[in-house]
Amino acid sequence: MTTRDDVELVVRQQIAEILPSVPIEGDRHLKDLGADSVDRVEILLGVLDRLGLRAPLSDFRDVPNVDALVDVLAERVS
Amino acid sequence: MTAGIEALNVYCGVAQIPVRTLFEGRGLDTDRIGNLMMRNRSVGLPFEDPVSNAVNAAKPVVDLMDPADKSRIELLITSTESGLDYSKSVASYVHEYLGLPATCRVVEVKQACYAATAAVQMAVAYVASGISPGAKALVIATDVALVDERGQYAEPATGAGAAAVLIGEDPRVLTVDLGAFGNHSYETLDSARPTPTFDIADSDRSLFAYLDCLSNCFEDYRSRVEDVDFATTFDYLAMHTPFAGMVKAAHRKLMREFAGIPPARAEEDFTRRVLPSLAYPSVVGNLCSGSVYLALCSLIDHAELAELDGGARVGLYSYGSGCSSEFFSGLVDQRSAEALAPMRIGEHLEGRCELTFEEYAAVLPANLTCLVPEQDRTVDVTAYDDILGRARIDRDLLVNTGTKDYHRTYEWLNT
Repeated sequence: MTTRDDVELVVRQQIAEILPSVPIEGDRHLKDLGADSVDRVEILLGVLDRLGLRAPLSDFRDVPNVDALVDVLAERVS
Repeated sequence: MTAGIEALNVYCGVAQIPVRTLFEGRGLDTDRIGNLMMRNRSVGLPFEDPVSNAVNAAKPVVDLMDPADKSRIELLITSTESGLDYSKSVASYVHEYLGLPATCRVVEVKQACYAATAAVQMAVAYVASGISPGAKALVIATDVALVDERGQYAEPATGAGAAAVLIGEDPRVLTVDLGAFGNHSYETLDSARPTPTFDIADSDRSLFAYLDCLSNCFEDYRSRVEDVDFATTFDYLAMHTPFAGMVKAAHRKLMREFAGIPPARAEEDFTRRVLPSLAYPSVVGNLCSGSVYLALCSLIDHAELAELDGGARVGLYSYGSGCSSEFFSGLVDQRSAEALAPMRIGEHLEGRCELTFEEYAAVLPANLTCLVPEQDRTVDVTAYDDILGRARIDRDLLVNTGTKDYHRTYEWLNT
């Protein structure tokens, strides 16, 4: 059973892989953490891969920040 | 029946600016140049418009045709998001300045960066149908850039110019795999040109749509064609290139989904199958619906086609905002390289004049009004003599000299 905490860990690990040494604040958008469009694509695809999810990227275009991304993904995993 | 691309050429203007120069001039974060994967972008000059770009791309193709073949061009399609009039097509002017036969259909199509591929597929089907044996069709994707500092990071990625694609029964450049295609379309406002003076773009919406459509198109392609394996069926890939880094991300996505290869192990495949298609786009920028054909030119000019027995299969992907998209395929071989060589595309791109940031900024205001209908306008071509003098372009170019009672006027300029 994957919990929200598990999803959050995966999201944070993936962000850290693409944006090394960037402090990850949950209330900020990936853009504000310094992720450009290619970085954002790689973060999303990596997270979906690690969680074993298949979903259109377009489903995540209006997600306002990292915490909300975790929420949306946790809902899908469960 | 075989059908496909008999001849192909691009025209990418007489001027370019290094991407780093543009980043520094605008105060953009230069750390982002890495993921952009671009070195230069073409810059249109105020005497260049969708008509002149189209004619300058197609003229070398038409000039190489013998008169009998030229008389068989039965279909001229311009594809553009830089329309000049609600009624009169860019193609009508192009037909005149290329001296095409009167017995030729003339029409313009629009669907952002996808429309040229729709036109190419319709033209291929027309030729392959056999209803007019020996017929040829000329598809020209042509656009101008309407971008300034408001475009932020899109500004350094935006190109200008045209791609001319001659379709016929002797596909020396690309033999299209008839019936092998996959499509995906739906309504979205990811980017658009709501007025003749500016573009709007939602970068995430657009890039996510591009990537989602790519996967869906490939799924559709796979459902129509037997025994397709993304990793082995295609020797090369050429894709619509909003910026070269986007194509790298697209390749990684397909490798994850359809070959089970993680990004860390996709690099060698990218270098071998995709990188040859990015040499030209990375020094031109986004050529709109001509972009995938610029990538195809790049591939043919940079791949080791001579070493291949029986040719190489290319997977092509075209995406246009709004949105519509297609994955299709075809064969290239040494004959493709020989057919493209006389166009000297590499020399043309090398010969563009390098602009300073100040020169670039100075031409923007006139460029941004290029598509605005004006009853009477004069474009002073001589004002750009210095830039033209620094460009190494050894051919006559069509230039827009203005409008006279709404009719656009052109001259041939001996460079």
